[in-house]
Amino acid sequence: MNFTSKITYSGNYQIFQTFETNLIQGISAEQCELKRSYGKVVKNITLQASFHPLEKDFLERFAKLQWSITKDPILHIFVTECSEIETYKTSVKDEIEAWLKMLQRSGCVDWMILVVETIDIRKTKNLLTNRTTVLDKIRLDFCSKNNCEDRCISILNPTKFEQKSTESFRCLLQRIRFLMLSSYNKNLVKYDDLVRCYREKRNQDSWNFLKYFQMQEDNALVQEKLQLHNEALAQYDEIESQFSQFVTNSSFGERSIWLKNFRGPISYFHGICLTRPNKFEMREKIFKGEVTILDFRNYIFERQAHLLLITESQAEVAERLLTFLFSTLREVDFIKLDSPEGALACWQFVCALEVLAFCDETAEPNDVCFQNCAPIWNLAKDKLYELGKLCGLLPGYTPTSEQLHIVVQLLAGIGEPQEFTENRRSHSPHRKPKKSAVTQLREALSSNQAFTKLYLELSELAISTYKHVSRLRSARLVGLDLGNFYCALNEPHKAVVFFTDLLRELKSENWNCLASQTLLELANCYRKMEDKISYTKTCSAISCCLDLEMLVRTFYFDEFLKSMKVLEEDESSKLCVLEDYFKILDVVVLNKEPIIQDDILTVELKLASNFPKEILADKVSFSFEMFSEIDDAKLPIRPATLINPINAKLRVFLHLDYKQDRNLSCASVACDTGKTTQTVRRTSSARRKQSPTTRLDFTNSVNADEIRVHPGINTIELKSKATRVGKWKLKQLSVVMKPLEFLSENSANFNCVPSASVRMVPFEITTKPASATLLFNDLIAGIEQPIQLQVSGGSFIFPADAKIGLKCSKNLKVALSDGGTFENHLNVPLLKFKSFEERRISLKVLTELPGRNIAKSIDHKILLSCPWSRHEIPIGLDFMPAITSSCRLHTCGTQKFLQVFLKGISEAHLWLMDARMKCDVEGVELVDLNPKSQNTQEIYKNLTVSYLWELKLKEGFTVDIIKVMFSTNYSDYENANEIMNYACAFDVMDYKTLFKIQAQLEPTELCRVRSVCSLNLRITKVEDNPFMDLMYEVLTDQNVWAVCGTASGVISMKDINSHSISLDVMPLSTGFLPMPSIRLSKYTPPSSKGTKQDLHLKLQPFPPGQIYNSTKSMQVHVIASNIVE
Amino acid sequence: MFPLLSHRNHSNMATCIAIIGKDNTPLYLAISDMDKELDLQYRVHAALDVIEEKCSSSTKMNIESKELYLGLLYSTDNQKIYGYITNTKVKFIVVVDSGNVALKESEIRTMFRNLHILYTDAICNPLFSPGEPITSKKFDKCVRNILERQ
Repeated sequence: MNFTSKITYSGNYQIFQTFETNLIQGISAEQCELKRSYGKVVKNITLQASFHPLEKDFLERFAKLQWSITKDPILHIFVTECSEIETYKTSVKDEIEAWLKMLQRSGCVDWMILVVETIDIRKTKNLLTNRTTVLDKIRLDFCSKNNCEDRCISILNPTKFEQKSTESFRCLLQRIRFLMLSSYNKNLVKYDDLVRCYREKRNQDSWNFLKYFQMQEDNALVQEKLQLHNEALAQYDEIESQFSQFVTNSSFGERSIWLKNFRGPISYFHGICLTRPNKFEMREKIFKGEVTILDFRNYIFERQAHLLLITESQAEVAERLLTFLFSTLREVDFIKLDSPEGALACWQFVCALEVLAFCDETAEPNDVCFQNCAPIWNLAKDKLYELGKLCGLLPGYTPTSEQLHIVVQLLAGIGEPQEFTENRRSHSPHRKPKKSAVTQLREALSSNQAFTKLYLELSELAISTYKHVSRLRSARLVGLDLGNFYCALNEPHKAVVFFTDLLRELKSENWNCLASQTLLELANCYRKMEDKISYTKTCSAISCCLDLEMLVRTFYFDEFLKSMKVLEEDESSKLCVLEDYFKILDVVVLNKEPIIQDDILTVELKLASNFPKEILADKVSFSFEMFSEIDDAKLPIRPATLINPINAKLRVFLHLDYKQDRNLSCASVACDTGKTTQTVRRTSSARRKQSPTTRLDFTNSVNADEIRVHPGINTIELKSKATRVGKWKLKQLSVVMKPLEFLSENSANFNCVPSASVRMVPFEITTKPASATLLFNDLIAGIEQPIQLQVSGGSFIFPADAKIGLKCSKNLKVALSDGGTFENHLNVPLLKFKSFEERRISLKVLTELPGRNIAKSIDHKILLSCPWSRHEIPIGLDFMPAITSSCRLHTCGTQKFLQVFLKGISEAHLWLMDARMKCDVEGVELVDLNPKSQNTQEIYKNLTVSYLWELKLKEGFTVDIIKVMFSTNYSDYENANEIMNYACAFDVMDYKTLFKIQAQLEPTELCRVRSVCSLNLRITKVEDNPFMDLMYEVLTDQNVWAVCGTASGVISMKDINSHSISLDVMPLSTGFLPMPSIRLSKYTPPSSKGTKQDLHLKLQPFPPGQIYNSTKSMQVHVIASNIVE
Repeated sequence: MFPLLSHRNHSNMATCIAIIGKDNTPLYLAISDMDKELDLQYRVHAALDVIEEKCSSSTKMNIESKELYLGLLYSTDNQKIYGYITNTKVKFIVVVDSGNVALKESEIRTMFRNLHILYTDAICNPLFSPGEPITSKKFDKCVRNILERQ
């Protein structure tokens, strides 16, 4: 409301009126700063003033505290033109005194004295320097004590000194403005007290709310004028809450007479209008008492909205609307006003749309605004529905004549649409101006189509706004209404969208009761749509809603079975979320670890069925997939919730702490919680996935066919052959009821599902090749040797009569160590052999001792034929012979002796006994020269045992090679009972003595060192032989003997039996010296013709048996030379 | 003479008390008028939106704030819905009849405080697993006492 501040003038009216208009214009021409308490923003305010003569009436009212801050003057000016001190003293001073007294009597302190100077004092002042001016005098008289010099001011009369007065006039204007503001500051406080005082009297019968309202609003208006919008708003809030309080109290029995003003029947119910050009239109009516409670509340709200708009908090208008509407409704209720049916709904609807339009047009779109608007859209939608229901405008209804009458009544009540285009923010030039709220309501109420259109529009807007501010639940709730509306419109396919959204939302947070209701709605829709597959699914879901009544559930269960029969096989989207129908209670792999490949994998599934009756599942399968530790580590740890605390066993164990000196420090009971870092983990409110999970790979799965699943807990055994090796984890359960398939969550996500309680433990299918091998240390031929057969079962499943065959190479025999007989082929039975068992079976092997003089190992081989393999496993065995034997021929003249050496070369420790030599050749006689007492001999490693036989030959015996056979019995040193035989054949060749060598040194005695002796050699033919040319060589140690002359020579034995040779030799040292040794070789002279080889002479040694050196190893005593040098 | 007055005398302290888990699943619901059960459940469910909004905006503004009482969440024609959230994000929601003007805000606060104590007592039971619906009869009885107190 635009009001001007009133200022009174007294004194010289005439002169004042000459510049009154100038003043009025001047005051509003410039702004003035309103200083406020510390910290508040300084406001620049334009003031408007009007001048009136002072009225006594006002002063009386002011004294009685019945003044009005808006209507009554706020400043009083006394004007005088007096320039003469004398005149002042005589008359003007008294006038002013009287005026001031009058003011002060009524408590008015906002005054000002204006001296209008008509002569230029400043000019005269120079002449009369000592003279005080009238102004000084006035100041002295009236201002000194109050310290209010500034209340006295002088100006040059603007009418007379047009040029010079400007400056002083400006000062005056500033002064007036300043005094006005300070007056307001003072009076506002004063007035506020007044209002409060009046409010305190509210229990008096004569108290009138309207008066209180007026006073408080005056305050607000002044504050608004002073741009104190928030303060002004607070005044209105105060009025509002007071009003509410009064009305509420009235219902408690406090009867207030003034309330009758608002008891008028609500025959018209205009909504608020925030674009009204005359904001105070209603104010007048209010004071006239011509308004309803709705009008009054509308007015207050409009004023609040106006102030909020100025402070640019449009969003708050939206925020306040609902409170305003609801409290007004309650007030209407309290004072029990009659209103036509639907009137309040109309009013609310119009208010809501008006505020929405207001926000849309004036406010920058921001989230706060949307947050506040969303419920308003919803309210508008609800109210419209209410009206539609009342007036028969809902789909499927036609208004009866009675309802038409209601419509007419309501249309009359909501008034004519008022279109005010001013002040509207233009979004874009192409945008059509929106219809006003009233117009929209009028249209909607006038036809079913328009109603439907508006309702759908509002619903969509409500949903989208709610979604925009991410109030999804609220949006879904609007969706529910909209879905129902679509159902009524017979458009179930549109409704389904909203119901499914709502269902998802509700299920995700386990609002089962509401979810079941939504399912019922959905079932209804699907039936209408004849969507068989969805209908079947929904029916089955309903039958599994535990919080519905059994009657309902069984009905839908029957529906489910019925409609499942008519389902076609090829229809798609047959997947259902298993968790809605079943609950996996427990999954246990029954096989004991490790599970061997090709074994039957058995999984026990405990499944709780929510169906009210038994169902027949065509197939139940649980898929499993390769398990990797990494994937598992990523999984969120299950919340600490133990679903079944009674069954959950804590791993509690004894824990002892020791001190350093090993004394017990503390004994406690500990509980291992696995990963200690994440014992308890808070799960965020993870939304559960609602769409059927994707079907995982079921190639690896355990299955059961044709299972009857009873309501409640079922235990189902699922089986499958464990075909592939690896670590596996059960992943997904599928229950097939053709053509539906219920699929569980991927078990990897079980942790996120509150209903799933099962932790899948990975299991392992393993295979390990069975193996067999022989274990032995250095083997010795000739005696029993222990070996071990090691069988590792691996994952092979052994038949009860499994055995391993051992096939030995020639001369090797094997036996079970515990008293079996040695055999070339042996079958070792594997009694009760289990998979993965490791068994060692002790065996012994025996191989013959070869009669050889070679300390070389003997290679043998054993072939193992195992039950798990078609191939034989060859295993090589190396035997070292226990002993080796050799034979040597000795000669003594023509006598021949055979010496046999037996040498222990292995670790074996043996007894040798009954050594014997045989010769089957006729004419050969072997004479045993071994002492009988030494029949039994011990032999061990590196020990040589020798035996001696004389070889006697018959006269004229000419066989080239005599085969003799040596044999001896032997036994193990430890086990002398087991006697075995060792035999070795030797060939005796060149056994006849052909030549005899005799050597003699002369002189035979007193052979001195370094004196030449003669060595006489004599070579005699003993037996006829073909060797004619012989070569002799004297072989000496060069340190011992020196041969003088040639040491060798060739002789021919042709036709002669004996040959003598003399050589000079010289002993080089003293003592018993061995005779120089003589070597006799066959000599083949080089031939001039023939091959190249023949060019060289050839020497061939005789074998030892053909030469007999009779002086071999003879010694010569050499004495020192007696020549003294 | 004053039908409203008598009506108010019969009205309950609240029409619905709900306890909602940290993952927004209902843990407990007490409803005085079973005819309105569904409607009230929907209201309580929608109130979670406002709680989420308030909590997210309050964490932004003032993390230090330890105020558990969330105040009026929203109101409808005839109901006012108040909220309260524990430090473990368990929500208490109380629906009161907006006709019940005698009910002061301080009384609502007291109601929530009492409810919190009852809830704490109930979940202190070692056999109770947190996150599961509260089925304790004793708890139900006590909550219904709050619900029906005038």
